[in-house]
Amino acid sequence: MSETTQLRVMDFDCPSCASTVERALGNVEGVDDVEVHYSTGRVEIDYDDAVADVATFEQTIENQGYTPQPA
Amino acid sequence: MDTKSVKQYYRQHRKAIIVALSGLFYAGGWSIGYVPGPAFDTASTAILILAAVVGGYDIAKTAYHEVKSRTLGVKTLVTLAAIGAIGIGSYWEAAAVVFLFALGSYLEGRTMRKTRNALEELLEMTPDTATVRRDGEQKEVPAREVEEGEIVIVKPGEKIPVDGDVVDGESAVNQAPVTGESAPVHKADGDEVYAGTINQEGAIEIRTTGSGTDTTLQRIIQRVEEAQEAQSPTESLIDRFAKYYTPAIIVLSIGAYAVTQNAILSLTLLVIGCPGALVIGPPVSIVSAIGNAARNGVLMKGGEHLEQAGKIDLIAFDKTGTLTKGETAVADVEGFDTDDDEVLDLAAIAEMKSEHHLGDAILNAARNRQTAATDGGTTVDQADDESPATETQSLPEPDDFDVVAGKGVVAHHDGREIVVGNRALLDERGIDLPDDVAEYVREREERGETAIHVVLNGTVVGAIALHDELREAAPGVIQELQDADIETVMLTGDNERVAAAVADEIGIDDYRAELLPEDKQDVVTEYQADGHVVAMTGDGINDAPALATADVGIAMGAAGTDTAIETADIALMADDLERIPYAVKLSKATRWNVLENVGLALVVVTVLLGGVLTSYVTLALGMLVHEASVLAVIGNGMRLLRY
Repeated sequence: MSETTQLRVMDFDCPSCASTVERALGNVEGVDDVEVHYSTGRVEIDYDDAVADVATFEQTIENQGYTPQPA
Repeated sequence: MDTKSVKQYYRQHRKAIIVALSGLFYAGGWSIGYVPGPAFDTASTAILILAAVVGGYDIAKTAYHEVKSRTLGVKTLVTLAAIGAIGIGSYWEAAAVVFLFALGSYLEGRTMRKTRNALEELLEMTPDTATVRRDGEQKEVPAREVEEGEIVIVKPGEKIPVDGDVVDGESAVNQAPVTGESAPVHKADGDEVYAGTINQEGAIEIRTTGSGTDTTLQRIIQRVEEAQEAQSPTESLIDRFAKYYTPAIIVLSIGAYAVTQNAILSLTLLVIGCPGALVIGPPVSIVSAIGNAARNGVLMKGGEHLEQAGKIDLIAFDKTGTLTKGETAVADVEGFDTDDDEVLDLAAIAEMKSEHHLGDAILNAARNRQTAATDGGTTVDQADDESPATETQSLPEPDDFDVVAGKGVVAHHDGREIVVGNRALLDERGIDLPDDVAEYVREREERGETAIHVVLNGTVVGAIALHDELREAAPGVIQELQDADIETVMLTGDNERVAAAVADEIGIDDYRAELLPEDKQDVVTEYQADGHVVAMTGDGINDAPALATADVGIAMGAAGTDTAIETADIALMADDLERIPYAVKLSKATRWNVLENVGLALVVVTVLLGGVLTSYVTLALGMLVHEASVLAVIGNGMRLLRY
């Protein structure tokens, strides 16, 4: 089933960091679409919940050096 | 502290701890380097490398991910520079670059968090629980689980948890979180209340119309976020520039090394290769401005609209409901060879079924003659379609009734024909207008009142003057806009004489009279053709086409009316004219702020480039200036949060 979730990253320190996180999330298996907004710190992910889950997204964001929070 | 809380503390403050440690090692290594002796030199080198590793671990990790995902980010450049500096033995430079970058990023993240949190305050306004009446009992439930139609009880001093209509009790409600207006608004039976607003006086019961994410406040916040995320033209321009700038600098850096064999020089070029201040400046300005506006009850639809609004040089106002209160009342009734009261009653019978606001005013006056000429209450509520007060007392209904659009009504009652309307209607029906009536009408119109004639069986028996009170704020607002070099124009359907009188009273620059609703759009187009950047102000519903045509559409009193929010570029949640100069000035300030930030960034980049190429700027100094300029533009942008 296709799902949409929102996370928030409040500590982006540069616009290119947001694009890097966006790419990294886009590479996670099961992610159909992802948008990361530098200005608000909002992360929107469309994904297939049979393949991916929110914990993986949070881990991915943490790997990049940022702190994800629930939206 | 047990291990768990230590870990938690470390997790929360990881970035600060890393920066502090890196700084400590950096300062230590640097100082030890001044002590003579080879042992101290080695120690210094070791500690400086430690500073670079501690401070740079996270940066390098992100850089690895940047490279892996094929984005060319600032962290890759910094990592390359630091590794390069260590490679050529410039340990001090490596430690300095890493420490300064880590410190800068930490501060940037912190300040941006503050900017991003501007809306959080609004979100926190909504309480988590609600007291509902279920099966005759009061129950406390999570606010988002309240269902539509359920009755919620709100005690004095509590925040209202849901959107709804008051069904019992009355109170004063502070609607600042939604409308930005801190003056409490009186709420009684039938009035709409919003989640997140504060019930100040009495206990009220509310029938829920929306809860959870389906509330006005939530919708506003969502729109504000979308607005903040939408790129303004300046932002997209800069993004395009940045795309070429960074690779260009890298090529330059490699070229410089090939020519000069100066490794420090090309590493320094790498450090300044990220156009930091340039790409960060405009979004910070815009996010701050939109956040500030939101907290003041003004919804800006996005950076593009903000930038556009910053260029406005002419504002057109719809008269009724914008410059005036939109509460038309009978000011005077004059009978000619007929009793005044009878004139009013005749008009009221004819207007009984009319939906026109002038008709409503006449009916109200007839129903309550004592208060006919006075202004009603102290609070300005959005008038409901029907007057809830008294039902028809002694006034009979007409036998039949016809509306002549834009002119008036023709009705029959008890064998009599009653015509109520303007001069055009009299002309159309060939009714003579006696001189004394014409004189009376002219005199009232010169006061800015709308006068209509009452005709019984073909003879004019009287006239009724109607008055729509000006908002107290109108003259001040017009003055304020004129002081800001903005031309002001009033658009109205009233005739020339009424329009001139009203325009004179509020001191507006110009007016356009006798406009049909569809004409307003054409007037806007005309001004645009003359080279003006035009803003149109209205209620956002009746004048939606004109609002959409204008460069910037400003809707007033938009809370609760999604259409208005949809149409407008700038939506004023409150029905408050004084927000207009605020919104316009904020837009102008934002436009300047963006320009300042772009200007500063360009100057810094140019100076740095020049400095690097002439070897005045070293690696550490380059990083210092780079980070300082980023913090400067963030700081400058954040000024708009407190505008």
